[in-house]
Amino acid sequence: MLNSNLLLCAVFVPTIGAFAIPFIGRFSGIARNAAAFILVFVPLAASALLAPAVLSGRPVTLSYTLPLGCDFTLTADALAVFMAIVSSFISFVIVLYSFGYIRKYSHLSEYYTMVVFFIGSMMGLVYSANLIFIYLFWEMTAIASWRLIGFFREKTFVLKADKAFLITVFGALLMLLGFILIYTETGSFDLSIIKSRLGPGALSNTVVLLILFGILSKSATLPFHTWLPDAGVAPSPVTALLHAAVLVKIGVYVYARLFVATFSIGAIWHTVVPALAAISALVSAGAALVETDIKRIIAYSTVSQIAFIFLGLAVGGEIGLAGALLYILMHGLAKGGLFLCAGIVEHGTHTKDITKMGGLFGVMPMTAVSFLFCAFSVMGVPPFGGFFSKYMVISGALSNNTWIAMTFLVGAFLTILYLFRLFNMVFMGEEGTQSAREGSRIMVFSVAILGALSLVAGICIQYPASFVETAVKQMLGF
Amino acid sequence: MPSLLILVPLIGLVALNLPNKDIMRKLAFWFALGLFITQILLAIQHHPVFWNYQLEKMDSFFRVNFSVDHLSFIMLLCIGIVSTASLLVARHTIHDEKERFKLINLLIIASIGMSGTVMTSDIFSMYIFLEITAIASFILIAFEKNIYALEGAFKYLMLSATATIMILTSIAILILAAGSTSFSDISQAVRSPGNNIVVVAIGLFLCGLMIKGGVVPFHAWVPDAYSAAPASVSVLLAGIVTKVAGIYTLIRTITAIFGLDGATRSALLMLGAISILVGAFAALGQKNMKRMLAYSSISQIGYIIIGFGTGTFLGIAGAVFHLFNHSMFKALLFVNASAVESRLGTMDMDKMGGLSAKMPVTGATSVIGMLSAAGIPPLSGFWSKLMIIVALWRSGDHAYSIIAILAGVVTLAYLLIMQRKAFFGKDNESVSEAGLGIKTASVMLAGVLVGIGISFPFIFNRFLAPLREIIHR
Repeated sequence: MLNSNLLLCAVFVPTIGAFAIPFIGRFSGIARNAAAFILVFVPLAASALLAPAVLSGRPVTLSYTLPLGCDFTLTADALAVFMAIVSSFISFVIVLYSFGYIRKYSHLSEYYTMVVFFIGSMMGLVYSANLIFIYLFWEMTAIASWRLIGFFREKTFVLKADKAFLITVFGALLMLLGFILIYTETGSFDLSIIKSRLGPGALSNTVVLLILFGILSKSATLPFHTWLPDAGVAPSPVTALLHAAVLVKIGVYVYARLFVATFSIGAIWHTVVPALAAISALVSAGAALVETDIKRIIAYSTVSQIAFIFLGLAVGGEIGLAGALLYILMHGLAKGGLFLCAGIVEHGTHTKDITKMGGLFGVMPMTAVSFLFCAFSVMGVPPFGGFFSKYMVISGALSNNTWIAMTFLVGAFLTILYLFRLFNMVFMGEEGTQSAREGSRIMVFSVAILGALSLVAGICIQYPASFVETAVKQMLGF
Repeated sequence: MPSLLILVPLIGLVALNLPNKDIMRKLAFWFALGLFITQILLAIQHHPVFWNYQLEKMDSFFRVNFSVDHLSFIMLLCIGIVSTASLLVARHTIHDEKERFKLINLLIIASIGMSGTVMTSDIFSMYIFLEITAIASFILIAFEKNIYALEGAFKYLMLSATATIMILTSIAILILAAGSTSFSDISQAVRSPGNNIVVVAIGLFLCGLMIKGGVVPFHAWVPDAYSAAPASVSVLLAGIVTKVAGIYTLIRTITAIFGLDGATRSALLMLGAISILVGAFAALGQKNMKRMLAYSSISQIGYIIIGFGTGTFLGIAGAVFHLFNHSMFKALLFVNASAVESRLGTMDMDKMGGLSAKMPVTGATSVIGMLSAAGIPPLSGFWSKLMIIVALWRSGDHAYSIIAILAGVVTLAYLLIMQRKAFFGKDNESVSEAGLGIKTASVMLAGVLVGIGISFPFIFNRFLAPLREIIHR
């Protein structure tokens, strides 16, 4: 009983509470920030409290029967709780950072409302075990992301926000069609009911294709990746939140939830998806090598790293899956950190063009070190966290298809190249044309946490690994 | 006692226009508000004592068969809510008290006409009530008496007159065939095979209704009429008048009289799909906010028609539900448009921008209306579109289903253009928020959209599930 209440809290406290923020914001800015802080802390705490029960093999489920097969079902299994903890923790750090970053702009109430609403919708998506509610929360995250990308309200920025919204909605509508196909076959949107009615056979390829449209567009994988670099016009904490750490993981998570944990899909997809991912990884890594806008480079890097996660999930097998889940954690921490550092750099130098920067190490040493730590993790340098996940994903792929694994090795190499290039141009070398200064204390503190955690997560790899192991076992039904 | 819904406003209208107008002018608003709110409450409650109790004398005085079922309840609810919104907008956009008094009178007449249309089960009375609504609408559109208003009203008048002739001719033929005007008698007569003239009559009748509803290819009058009318009238017109006059009557006459055979079904699906696409793509190119919303109406009406065309319970319930939702979000968007018009004096979207900074209520509710229109969950429009699309897929019309689903992207695209140009952009510091009445109307309608969106299962059980009765009669 307590656990199911925790589950409801994790989802509904932020989604509903978000709409109190504008009213609180009318009276006091501090109260508003405090409210945002609490509303983001609740899902983190609730998810963490769910972990012990779930890890001991007792998934928490609650369900209300509704007409037309739209039963409202929330399920917390190890996969869901893992995803929830990762995303709410990173969001939590990002909200802390926002207190420093966003302070001077107007429309703060809208900012915090949308951030909290986003996190609540994310929790809803993660815990939903019903296709229609997955879709519902999926689009709620899209609404929040639309408002947040256009936050600065320049004409071109809003245009880019609209672009992101339209591409993801296009994908989501095709995915909805896929869900409807499943519904006409089975008469329900509830995952467990569908599973029992569908039997052990594979999903039809049409359905998988339609759902993949949604997943690839949300996770910004080729050919639907173009909105992600453009979305860099958003405030930096938003890019970190939406486009690196949390939102782009939605597609990956739904892939894991539907195609790995619930249904089986045709053998062909175990080749097609890794191949798509491989192309995506190489193309975006190449783009990251030539871009000069700091946020676009990191955004392309996200596109490329997401491909590694897809690879891990698609090749299947325990090692690949575990690697993919760990990748979600490691990439979230590190990439969130990189974007937040980029925000500090951007604030300090008033530009996003890396050719105008240089020698910032002396001015902002803490940021530079945190940036380096996060970059090491993304590159996969041992003993940083990213090493383990990258290693597991590629070794999982090796047993499946050598060529694809080789391609991804090239992708990993390119990652090292473009991140070093970025680090050199921003932090090393001669002083740039701009006069710069370090970020505010809370901002530096936030990036330091993420940088440190990228290292700690690698050194203490056994804790996340054992969590992930349980999740993989539950997904594969052992 | 449903006849009271007609009789009380009628008597009130006479009383309002008695001499000693100064007091009456002040009372008119409150009287109308009271009427509409009572109607909303009665329609939500559907309490049997009110709806089933027969007043022998009064009902026979009217010589009209009122029969109210769940479809009528939904429509009455819709009429009540949109009329209230329109009334609130009128209070704050028309400043001359005399003019406002006239408008409120016409509003009450239009609402009598609409309520009558949705409650009667007799084809001739339906026609009478339709005409009452239509005549009130002509005057309302031409209310400002400038050239555009007269042009809009004239176009509507001409097309509506054509529709009237078609409907009346067809009613004459049907009376000849059936010897009576009640739905059930005509229904029996038209279902006996081998009577070609009746087929012609049905065709004429349905075309007449589609003109009134603004379905493509009969849609030309819609953008002119909606954009020429004064703010509060376009709320009423776009929100409910065309829905009752064209779409409700179509659904009612087909389910109760003509039946949905293969040919009608494919015609409806085809027209619906064309309406969706034509309306949506035409809306993409509009610069005038009201015209964009008008084309959007055409497109959304396509969804209603296509859902109804499936002929299954889910499709028809979805269509009726979408009709309701469309009334709500389109009324909301028109209320917002009137808020903008009252502050900027223009509807040209290129001259707007960043309005939501100083008009937070208008800006926020327009986002809700827009997302609901685009069928983005968790707002109400999503559920009705979902029902329609599922119904289309189940009935085997896969191509139509895909059209319906992908048109959602176009819908979102043009509504995003509206948002980008009007509300969401560099802050415009020179405007101020709209008046209290407009704000109240926006908040009320937005509340309905959100409320229905998140309590969809209860709405489904209470209002939509009983619609099975209109199919299996």
